[in-house]
This record gives sequence, structure tokens and C-alpha cells, in this order.
Amino acid sequence: MVLTNEHPVQEVTSTPPAPVRTSRLGDRGLAAVFISPAMLLLLAMSVFPLLWALSLSFTNYSATGSAPAEFVGFANYAEILTSEAVRRRALTTLVYVVGAVTLQTVLGFGIAYLISRRTRGRGLLTTLFLVPMMLSPVVVGLFWRFMLDAQFGVVNSMLGSLGIEPVEWLTRQETAMVSLIVVDTWQWTPFIMLIALAGLTAVPRYLYEAASIDRASEWFRFRNITLPLVWPLLLIAVMFRAIEAFRLFDLVYILTNGGPGVSTETLSFHVNKVAFLGFNTGTASAYGILMVVVVIVLAQIYLRYLNKLKED
Amino acid sequence: MRSERRAGRGSLPGRQVRLTTTAVVTAVAAATVLAACGGGGTAEAGGVKAPGAVPELTDEPLTLSFIWFEWPPAQALEDFANAEYAKERPNVTVEVNTVPNANWHDAMFTQFAARQTDFDIAILDSQHIGEAVTNGNIVELTDFIEGNVETDAFDPYLLAAYGQYPQAETGQRDESASMYGLPLLGDTWTMIYRKDLIGDEPPQTWDEMISVAEQCQAENPGVSGLAFHQANGSDAAAVTYNTVNGLYGGNLWDPQERQIDGIINDEAGHRAMDVLVNEMKPLTATGSGNWFIDEVNAAVAQGKACIAFNWIAASGGLLDPEQSTLGESREEILDTLGFATLPTQETDLVPLGGMGMHVSAYAPDERQAEALNFMKWFLQADTQKKWAAAGGVPARTDALESPEFLGAGPFNQVYADSVARMRDMWNVPEYARLVDIENTSVNAALNGAMDPEEALDSIAVEQQEVLDSSGSGGL
Amino acid sequence: MARSLVVRARPARSSGGRVRRLVEVVLLAVLAAAMLFPVLWMLETSVKENRDVYAVPAKLVGFDITLDHYRDVFVGPAGGASDLSVALLNSVVVAGASTVLATVLGVPAAWAYSRFTLRAKKDQLFFILSTRFMPPVVVVIPIFLMYRQLGLIDTQLGLILIYTAFNVPFTIWMMKGFVDQVPSEYEDAAMLDGHTRFQAFRRITLPLLLPGIAATAVFALIFSWNEFVYAIFLTSSQEVRTAPPAIAGLIGGTTVDWGLVAASACVFALPVLVFAYLVRKHLVAGVTLGAVRR
Repeated sequence: MVLTNEHPVQEVTSTPPAPVRTSRLGDRGLAAVFISPAMLLLLAMSVFPLLWALSLSFTNYSATGSAPAEFVGFANYAEILTSEAVRRRALTTLVYVVGAVTLQTVLGFGIAYLISRRTRGRGLLTTLFLVPMMLSPVVVGLFWRFMLDAQFGVVNSMLGSLGIEPVEWLTRQETAMVSLIVVDTWQWTPFIMLIALAGLTAVPRYLYEAASIDRASEWFRFRNITLPLVWPLLLIAVMFRAIEAFRLFDLVYILTNGGPGVSTETLSFHVNKVAFLGFNTGTASAYGILMVVVVIVLAQIYLRYLNKLKED
Repeated sequence: MRSERRAGRGSLPGRQVRLTTTAVVTAVAAATVLAACGGGGTAEAGGVKAPGAVPELTDEPLTLSFIWFEWPPAQALEDFANAEYAKERPNVTVEVNTVPNANWHDAMFTQFAARQTDFDIAILDSQHIGEAVTNGNIVELTDFIEGNVETDAFDPYLLAAYGQYPQAETGQRDESASMYGLPLLGDTWTMIYRKDLIGDEPPQTWDEMISVAEQCQAENPGVSGLAFHQANGSDAAAVTYNTVNGLYGGNLWDPQERQIDGIINDEAGHRAMDVLVNEMKPLTATGSGNWFIDEVNAAVAQGKACIAFNWIAASGGLLDPEQSTLGESREEILDTLGFATLPTQETDLVPLGGMGMHVSAYAPDERQAEALNFMKWFLQADTQKKWAAAGGVPARTDALESPEFLGAGPFNQVYADSVARMRDMWNVPEYARLVDIENTSVNAALNGAMDPEEALDSIAVEQQEVLDSSGSGGL
Repeated sequence: MARSLVVRARPARSSGGRVRRLVEVVLLAVLAAAMLFPVLWMLETSVKENRDVYAVPAKLVGFDITLDHYRDVFVGPAGGASDLSVALLNSVVVAGASTVLATVLGVPAAWAYSRFTLRAKKDQLFFILSTRFMPPVVVVIPIFLMYRQLGLIDTQLGLILIYTAFNVPFTIWMMKGFVDQVPSEYEDAAMLDGHTRFQAFRRITLPLLLPGIAATAVFALIFSWNEFVYAIFLTSSQEVRTAPPAIAGLIGGTTVDWGLVAASACVFALPVLVFAYLVRKHLVAGVTLGAVRR
């Protein structure tokens, strides 16, 4: 439990709370009124379509066809789980998510740390660094595609002035994934940075002051004060980023279109093809549900670990 | 926090679980019922036929909507239609709604899937016809065409290419087959070459073209010999391969037997792939592996390519001095750039492009009637000539041969000369998946991600699978 | 407590401190440059003639400046308002409304989750979060079909609803964190003074939550402002279309007017940037307010 010097904890009340002026709504009612609108909206707009997709996943329905849906049981799921193509995309997605989120976390935290050390101009700096995140992924994709163009792109121009041969950023297997990771990092590092910054600035100053009185080293301060306090917040940010990266579609679509060949096709990109190339709505729904299941399972594990951390 | 845990332990898990399960099961059941209802039912949409004569037209103000993708011809059509069709039907406003090219197919077919469309006339790529017909999304026009379109005034293949299903054999029209669309805009590839670098006369054969390009690249550092579509999106790489395949005497499939494996990857097919990857690709610029229309145009406009191939309908911007470094005026540019029909090799085939107009089966009756009237009007002799003058590519033979058309742009002659040489891809319902397989594999071969021979064989096998399963399965 | 932190003493060296600060500043500057360069490049492109846009090698300086692209963003070829300006306006309406709605729905819910003990709270919260897991491309078709029945296709309201539904989970999660940091003792004190729970919430807690709300609103705004997939499939007419599909529509077909794309992108990014700048203090300081951590 962390205390600040601005709001000291109130005297512990040993007396039970005095009778509250009763309003028309009890606590229960208030909770219900406050929660239900949000819940209803979510049920209608997120849950219902999800369940619809779930039911479609057990059929061979095609949204453009005029034939009614036929029940096929788990056939779609079996096909997806045994498919070589899907496994390949899963690997690609894993590489992408791990690579991008790791890089973003390191960079984001680093920038946040550097900003938190400044005393002036924090607001301006923060806003400046936030700019990439504000841009539409479509715009970001288009512009990076232009910048990474092997001939007309400014990146190769600059490399060329350093004497380096032009690199085929988007059309070679090796570099295409790197490009994707770099662009995603460029756009989303600010997200981690913001959350890390919030955590860093929340670390009470007196802890640092106490440490410096005892002449503790910078590294010690970082490792034993800063990191443990920021860690949980950072982990939540990482989780959000990982989920978003897993679902990512716009960037792959615009930057490489899954190319060269299909080497940068992520699961999200692939499911789009399945859904709209052949309009295999049943299979696509099963695909989507599987993706959701994977994320839910992983997130549950992650959150349990996180809660254990909090309780320590 | 502490109170939370207490409450958690105190709650009744059993009843909780049961309640949740009941809720979920009910919702799933409801959703299934809805899905089933949404799937079946509207059987009348499949098989809507247009009448033999244009039905009675309304005098009320009416908006006729088209859907196309975002490019200059879309604006040109809207302007043209509102200027000219309004003279006939002053109560009608024509609106051409556009979507980004990459979403074009998906956006239209998603609306078809919902059995309700915002548009009355869909502009489909010829390859989409199979999918639209099989799903009952567009109106059959066979009877309508008979009484309202002077079919003799058209090259039969042009009529067939944009409307017939099942697909016509290359160059022919099957008089007994059904028609579902009418030509709107014709298109094909043009060869664009630098007169100042390789001379006024374009190469006549494909092999000759390659060696000319090679020489040009060697003599002009910074300029690449060739520029063509290689991207793995839309139909870029697939059309490129299909063109080379056709020129070297290959075939895409046997329509009668529905056979692809063994046909596309026969000797001629492999030769074509070899030429494409080992002879043509090295003459392109670094990093051109994801080039499509825009990048090829940019290469030409910046003077970075000796010989380029692109769709005619997309080449208009090349003559714009604002975008080009080749000249300060249109005339100067025309002195530098030449346009010619494709060289020949074993055959003289060129790719069929362009789009047709199709009537949405879900449009309300009075708008369907108006759509039919529009199409009838559009294919009349004088309208076609005016469309040519406005920058469109007409389908009527007399319009194609008219000075209005041939004089409107340097590549129009190319189109007129190419009409007899055009070959299309398959327009089967599974088209989208077939082209995706070909696109991604050819793109992989071009970018060194896959061995060219293996790529071609894998195309053959995968496409055959799709064709055999009639598109079901999905992955 | 201070004593337990002592492990090893090292005399602070002022010169080392200065070097360290210099290194930090340099690092920060380099990172800022790397992050901002593409944006600057985009700005540059928006004022270049199209000829210079495709120049090889890329022209960093020494090109003519033109404001034509910015004019083209707002003024259509015929002289009236351009389609892009209509799209921008639509974006403002849709994103603004969905942000406000998500806040109105999410903040009370977050407060309720934080204060009250509810059955299966953790599961409910997780369920709320899990609605974001679905890749949009899969849900688009059921939503499309649903909207067709309700007549919400090609309407601003349709987009507003789906964006709100997407923002509410994040709002609740983030706001709950902020609410957790406002001591419930304040409300208890207020109730001892005779207020109802609701009044305590409104008068005491809500004002303290404003920074958190500002921060969360920025994220909600960003998402709604930049969203592409749903906009493409649920809207088709020029009157309703938002900016991202409109800008994406500038690409593809024939030669791309990169200058116009760049100018539209810059204009499009501006409102969000301005809003974020206005609430910048709250973005960082929000979490530190009244930080009695639980």
C-alpha cells in the first residue's frame, strides 16, 4: 500500500457508518442503473454478433449464397486446426506480436523514463511523442509504404547518401516482417510510453528522496523503487497492445498486403480473405471464434499472474 | 479488495453457472434461428429476369445509383450521365458512389449478401460475373437485350465478355447463353515506350521487346528496362502472368473439363513463368515487387522506365505535364512517349480489361426500370460516340472506329487494334480465390520467396482443388 | 522505513550527473527526431508539387511550396465543398458523439464496479474486456445484417453505436483504475454528512475523476476517429462516409495525388492532436491524483 504525502489516510473509523439518508435507489439499484446501459449496449453490439458468429461457425453458411445454413458440427474447426496454411499464419502472427510488443515496451518505457527525468516541457514532449498514435493506421500504412519504397522512398534515399545499397523493405521475405514490426512500433510506442509515464510520475518523490539520503545508486533506485511500482501498469499496457497487435488488420493490408507472396499474412489478415474471397462465412466465423478463444485463454493466464503480483 | 474476495467466496457458483449457461444457450439458439432465416427464404432473388421491353418509367424525381471504385472514369461517368442522360430523363439524377479499389469486390458483395443494395447498377469486373450470377445477385438481361440493344453493332466478344455466363470462349459469343450485363468501359494493356531511348518503332515480338529493354537499361544508367504489375493484390501479378502465358501459347484452363492442373503448368506455361521471372523481372527496378498501376505510372512519368505495360484506362495521367518530368506540355510528352499494342510471340493475345454494367436484383422496381432504360440509352450509337468524346472507351464498333474516339487519346488506337486479340480469365464463381492463389504465388516467385517452377505447379494444384470443391471449405 | 533502503552508499558525483543529463537529452532528441520524422515528411509532401513527390533521390529541401493540396482538401473540383470536407465533418460528428456516449456509459459503470461488491465482478470485467478480442472482419457481416434489419446501414447513428460499443470496455477498464485511486473514504465521509451515495459520487468523486476522464476520452476519440473497417462496410454514400475510407479512396486507380493524400492526412490528424494537447496535463497527471493505492 502506497501512501502519498498529499492525502494522508483518514483516521480509521472504528464506528460503523452512520445511517445514510436513504435515496430512492439503494446501493444495489444504483449499481444496476449505472451498469446496465453499458451492459445492454455491449450485449447488443458485441455479444450478440459474437454469438451469431458462433452459431454460424457450426454451419457451412455462405453469406452470398441463397442456400440456407447446414449444420456441419465441428468440421470447420477441425479443418482450421489441421490446416497447414493456418499454422503458417499463426507462426507469422506470433513472430509479429512478440517482436512488435517487445520493441514497443522497451522503447516506450525508455522514452517515458527519459521524459520523467525532465523537469520542464513534459507536457509538450508527451504530446509530441503521442503524435504517431493519433494518426489513422491507414494513413500511417500508406505513408510508410511510400517512405519504404525501394526506389522513391526517402528511407532508401537517406541510406543511399550514407553509401548503403537500397534495401527492398517491403518485397523481400526477410525485410517485410521487419518493416511491419518497425512501423507498428513507430505507431504504438506512444501508447506504452503514456501508460509508463503515468506510472513513473506516480512514484512518490519522497521514496527517491529517502533513497538519495542514503546515497543509493541510480541503478538501485531504478531497480528497487521505479521498476516494481511501474511494472503492473506496464504489464496491463502490454496486454492491451498484444491483443490489439493480434487483431491487427489495417497495417498489414496497406503496407504489404500479406506479401511477398503470403509471408506476412497474419491470422487477422487471413480470416479476412476467407470471409470475403469465397464468402465462406461458416469457416470464417469458426476462424474468428478460435482466435477469440486463444486470446481469452492467454489473457486469463496473464491476468492471474498479474493479480498474484498485486497481492504480493 | 478484501471485501471483494469475501463476496467472491460467498457467492453461489452453482446457480451462477446455471444462469449463465441458460442465457448463453438461449442467445445461441436465437442467433442460429436468425442465421438460418437470413440464409434461406429469399429464393426469388435468384433468377430475376428483366422483361423484354423497358417497363414504364416514373416521372417522379429519381436517383440512379452506381457503385464503382475510385478512379477518374467514375467521375467521368457521373458527369457524362448527368449531362447527357438528363436531356432524355430530366427527373433522373445519376450518382456514382465509389469505394477504394482494394475494397471494391468486398463492399459490393457484402451488400449483395445482405440482400439489399444501396446501388441500382453495379459495375463489376468481368470476372465477378460468375459469383454474382450464381448467388442470384444480378438481373438476367437476355430477353431485354434482344429487343433493346442492336447486337449486330457490337463485336460479339465484347458483349459476351461483360455479360455472358457461363463464360464465352475467347473471342466468341454463345448466342444461346444467358446475358447478365452490358459493356460500360473497355480496357486492355498498352505498351508504353520511350521513343527517345529505343526509337520510334516499337518492338514486334516479345523476345525482341526483352532484348530491346535489356539494351536500353544497359545504355541508360538509372533507367530500368521494364515496368509492369507485380503486386499480390487486386489482380496485378495474375494478369501479368496470364498475359505472358497467353503470348507463349499457354492456356489457363480447359473450361469444358474444368481442368487446371496440367493445363496452366504445361510446357508453354512453364516457359512463360521462366520468361517472366528470369528474363523480365531482372529488368525491373529494385523493390518493384509490389508495383501496380500507380507505381508503373510513376516510373514512366519520372522517366525511370524504358518500356512499361499498364491498363489504358489508367494511363491518362501520363500525359499530364503536372505529373511528368518528360515534358512541359502534352505535345512534348507525346514526342517522348509512344503507345502501342502488345508485341506478339506464339500468339497475339492481350488481356481483357474493362467493366460492365449490371442491374442489382435488389433494387426497387422503378429503379430497375430506370437502370434498364439507362443501359439501353448508353449503348445507342450517338451516346457511344459522345462517351468516346468524353474520354470513355465505347463498345460499339462504329464508335470505336470513329474519329471522335481515335482522336481523343493516343492509346485509343491501341484499344481499337486490340479488340480482336483479347482473352479473359475464368469468370467462375470461385474466381476470387483462384486469382488470389495465382496473385500470391506469382508475386512470391517474382520476389524470390518461392521457386518459379514450384510456384506454378502449386498454383495449378491449389486452383484445381478450389475448382473441384466448387469453392466450399474456404481455407 | 528509510533505513531499510540502505544497501550501499556511493557518493553522488555532480560531473557524472551532468554527463548523464546530457546523454539523456541527446537520447531524447534522437528518439523524438526518429518518431517525428515521418510526420514532418508527410507535412513536406503535402506542400510539394506532385512532380517533386516522386523525385529520386527524395528531395528533402529545395522544392517549390504549394498550398494547392490543402485547398483541394476543402474545395471540390467544381468549386463547392469537396467530398473530403464532408467526410471530415462526418468524422467529427461520429467520433465526437461516440466518445461522449462511451464516457457517459462507461464512467458510472466503472465507478460502480470499483465501489460495489458485485457477483462475479472479475468475470464480468473480463467479459467486458473480451468483447474487444474479436477481429472486426469477422463480426462485420453479422453487424451488417443486423443493421440492415434496423435500417442503420449508411447512417451516422449506426457507426456511433458500434464505435461506442467498442470504446465502452476500454473506458470501463481504464476508469476503474482511476476510480480505485480515489479513496472511497471521501464518499463515506460525504454520506456521513447526509448525502446519498449518488450525490457523493456526483459531487465528490466525479470532479476528481475529470483528469482520468480526459485521458480515457482521448483514447476513445482516437479509436473512433481513425477506425476504418466498419466505416468501409457500414457506410457507402458520400454524405455519411467518414474520413478514413475517403482518404484511402484517394489511392488506387491511376496516378495517386500523394500531395492531396498528405494534406488530407495532416488536416485529418489535426483535431485529435489539438484535443490531446489541450488535455495533456491530465494525460500524465491523471493517475497521480489522490493516489491512495489499494
